[in-house]
Amino acid sequence: MTRGVLLFAFNSPDYDYVKMAEFTAKRAKHFLKLPSTVVTDTFSLKNLNEELFDKVIIVDSDDTNNFQGRVWLNKGRYQAYDLSPYDETLLLDVDYIINSSTLLKVFELMDDFICHESITYLMNEYDKKEYFNPKLSISSLWATVIGFKKTKRVKQIFELLRMVQENYNHYGNLYKFSTDMYRNDYGLTIGWKIANGHFNVKSDILPWNLIHIGPKTYVYKNSSNDFNTEYTIIFDKWFKNKIKKEYITIKDMDFHIINKDIVVDLIK
Amino acid sequence: MDVQSLLAESKARFAHNSAKDYLREKYSNKVYIAEQGGLWKADAQTIAVLSTFDADKIILIDTQNNPVEVDREQLLNKLKSLYTEVMTEYYKEWKELENKR
Repeated sequence: MTRGVLLFAFNSPDYDYVKMAEFTAKRAKHFLKLPSTVVTDTFSLKNLNEELFDKVIIVDSDDTNNFQGRVWLNKGRYQAYDLSPYDETLLLDVDYIINSSTLLKVFELMDDFICHESITYLMNEYDKKEYFNPKLSISSLWATVIGFKKTKRVKQIFELLRMVQENYNHYGNLYKFSTDMYRNDYGLTIGWKIANGHFNVKSDILPWNLIHIGPKTYVYKNSSNDFNTEYTIIFDKWFKNKIKKEYITIKDMDFHIINKDIVVDLIK
Repeated sequence: MDVQSLLAESKARFAHNSAKDYLREKYSNKVYIAEQGGLWKADAQTIAVLSTFDADKIILIDTQNNPVEVDREQLLNKLKSLYTEVMTEYYKEWKELENKR
């Protein structure tokens, strides 16, 4: 039985996702003792340090997801099932910062598929769900951290993710969400719901919150050590029309960063 | 720019309540354990239920809403051990936090 981390990294004109993937692979090896496989394209490959990865897989990237003048190369995540060389895979976004061994629990807890549903925006909003549309009660799963095994049901979930990606406008119309930008979170949610006959399978949900570093929140590492796990989080709190900065120090806690500019600073 | 000079320049205040919430989040994922075919949370309620019964085997609803027949004492010992380990760490960090007041 093999276990490993699967990362998708296609460099865009704005961000070096390959560098982020290298950073994540190093930390996966250090904190989780797991090898990583990266899925990338020929354009990004020239910047890749292949030694950091167990396996490098080349595919064509899809540059059709444009939003606010930027290209987001996040399509094609449905290929994870077929491309993963592992029996048990941890599919991670490269902007997820590993600071502990927490993710090993994913393997312990999952039947054949598991991901997050509830989230926390550190220093801001705790224990919440994101809804497709505020007027509807359909909450989204998060594709940031997915644990899966190779089973018939999981294969269906990823095939359905592909179907939703290819018919995104239709599903946006059906579920009343904005289709300005393609989101794997929404595609995964719909695929998962269809595969499960529109029943919510509780055992597919990680029983703790995905920690986000959200808007108006900044992260600074407290040491330049390669495997630093201590950070200062600063939050711009609005109070009487003024920004009041507040901070906390965190350690040994994994988090996902929404703002890619912060990731770029952290991995320097 | 290092963190200390950044904090000095920004005149940021330590957010005690946010730090409390962060600690709660941090330790929330450590109390789960897969054992005897079920997924369990090592919390006061589950430990209390296991302690109340005296039969060797009992049926409990796990955190995934599945009924599971368990060896009561074995599960109780596992959960007590995990609870103690996690709460000890939590308490240690909590005391450090309180000292920042």
